[in-house]
Amino acid sequence: MTPTGTASNQGDTTDTEAEPHQLDEETFYGEVRSFSFWFEAVEGYLEGRPYGYDPAMPEEQLDQQHRERIVTTLCNYCVGEAAALEAASGMVRLAPNHNSRIFMATQVADEARHLEVFLHRIGQLGVQDPEAEVQRLAHPNIVAFKARLLELVDDGDWDASVFALNVLLETLEFTVFRYHARTADAITSQILDGVVSDERRHLGFGENTLGHHLVAHPDDRARLTEMKSQLDTLVLGAFEGAYDDLGLHRDQRPQLGRDYLEAVERLGLLG
Amino acid sequence: MQLVAGERCALAASSGLVNLAPDYPSKHFLATQTLDEARHVEIFTQRLFDLGVAKEDLESTIDRYANPNLVKFAEVLLEKVSDGDFIAGVVGQNIVLEGMAFTVFELLEATSRDLNPKFAQTLSGTIADERRHVGFGENRIGSLISEHPEKKPEIEKMQQEMSYYMLATFADVFSASGESIDEGRKLAAQQGADSLSTEWHGADLETATIEEIEGVLADTVLGEFKNRLGRIGIEYQSPSVPA
Amino acid sequence: MSDIAQIHSTPDSEGSDAEPEEPRRRFELEETGFKEVPKRWRKFYRHWKGEGDSLGPNEVICPVCKVVIRSTREFRPGDRVYCMPCMSRMVVVRSDDGSLEAKVTY
Repeated sequence: MTPTGTASNQGDTTDTEAEPHQLDEETFYGEVRSFSFWFEAVEGYLEGRPYGYDPAMPEEQLDQQHRERIVTTLCNYCVGEAAALEAASGMVRLAPNHNSRIFMATQVADEARHLEVFLHRIGQLGVQDPEAEVQRLAHPNIVAFKARLLELVDDGDWDASVFALNVLLETLEFTVFRYHARTADAITSQILDGVVSDERRHLGFGENTLGHHLVAHPDDRARLTEMKSQLDTLVLGAFEGAYDDLGLHRDQRPQLGRDYLEAVERLGLLG
Repeated sequence: MQLVAGERCALAASSGLVNLAPDYPSKHFLATQTLDEARHVEIFTQRLFDLGVAKEDLESTIDRYANPNLVKFAEVLLEKVSDGDFIAGVVGQNIVLEGMAFTVFELLEATSRDLNPKFAQTLSGTIADERRHVGFGENRIGSLISEHPEKKPEIEKMQQEMSYYMLATFADVFSASGESIDEGRKLAAQQGADSLSTEWHGADLETATIEEIEGVLADTVLGEFKNRLGRIGIEYQSPSVPA
Repeated sequence: MSDIAQIHSTPDSEGSDAEPEEPRRRFELEETGFKEVPKRWRKFYRHWKGEGDSLGPNEVICPVCKVVIRSTREFRPGDRVYCMPCMSRMVVVRSDDGSLEAKVTY
């Protein structure tokens, strides 16, 4: 099979009617932000993976230093996921329409699952009390970001919350987790792959929601740009810390901010 | 319409409670409950669309037709959530609201089984969800109540208020639905359906008057409240009867 | 890249802008192991395999989530495409180097 598929000998109508690209915009958003879409999507990549990985997968032998690095990294991921869970749950009430409300509810479940699988993995790696370990090893920048994010949610600021959670945090997690999945032990890698699949929905929702909003309300751009400048150093610092925890030299690291900067550029929020 | 309004309240409350939960297992459970409630909102909203409500009119239609007493019922609960009161919030959500929903859905399921089997099947699914939610409410909150007995009077007051608005909602909805229930019975007779002779908590749904069905529903829900609250150490408070 | 054949000559200019209206090649899509959307939509997406991978004329990369978006027909500038994995709406444009790319539209 080629990357493009097999050339068809069938007529013009083959598949075309069922192409997603033929949907009108309203039908498309109704489909992808529905509960059933979410359910069938996660069923595809999580079935048979109760804690995010295939239980038949053997545990690799990890030396003490490697194990400690993974634990430290996962603990900081947990702070990010806890922030995402609490923010997303608060945002359900703020969602301005039916589709967004349903989508945020599915994101709440996703974030809770991420927290669950990371905590479980930390426990598997020999930590007796994973929750306490998360508290102990949390990077101050990600803790500060979490506090700021929850303030935005508490203030009822939907647009700023979408930016901080679904654009900023999710995009950076997406980059770091994808990179980490390539270098991690097999079980952690499979867990991260599943999380990345969820993050695709979250960051896409964020960018599209804000993009639509800014087209209709261009005056909000200045406010969000100002907020971005306050927040992104916190998150970038936290994820640079994650690379430190993984023991990566500067020249080994993927450019952490690239995906994020591309996203804010598309939104016109570079400042 | 009232089902959508009620489920929206449940969605807002359960998502708000995730933040307030004092431990990760509770957060995880409430996250799954949030998802359940979203599914309920979605399927009941879809039913509104199927019945002819235009998508662009959804919000205005709900604002217009949501029962004012049900809105007040929701406000009492959501105020507790907004105030950050986890224990009161879970009692209000998982025992009072879910206890009401559980029984209302059972009644609707019984009356829809033959006339509208698709809707009855939908309700069966939501009843299965509500069972988990009610179970969590009792199991998790029981221990928290025993740790914080000082919370009891406030929670009892909340339960009394919510019960009052629930009864007022029942009164409004049943008084407005007499004709449609009669229509349903005629339709069932024309279709030769015999399932409306369903016996539900001692009432024959085929022959009972509207007032009798409302009375049985109210008694059943309040009886459930009394039992469930008793098990977690809260003294059930009888609500005043709406005029 | 191989096995891409033009298989019919029906002009299909829907969605295209100023490009000449040559017939579009069509493709029968197969499952690629992509599982992040419901089954009925899976063949319209695949993971980018990194170095050594390349895009066919019926494929573009989603700039938001980096998944490869596929179609049963050759893409042309002006075509609308949806990335279901990240829920983005895009339009196909011709980039400076002459290749086709997807641009997010809000």
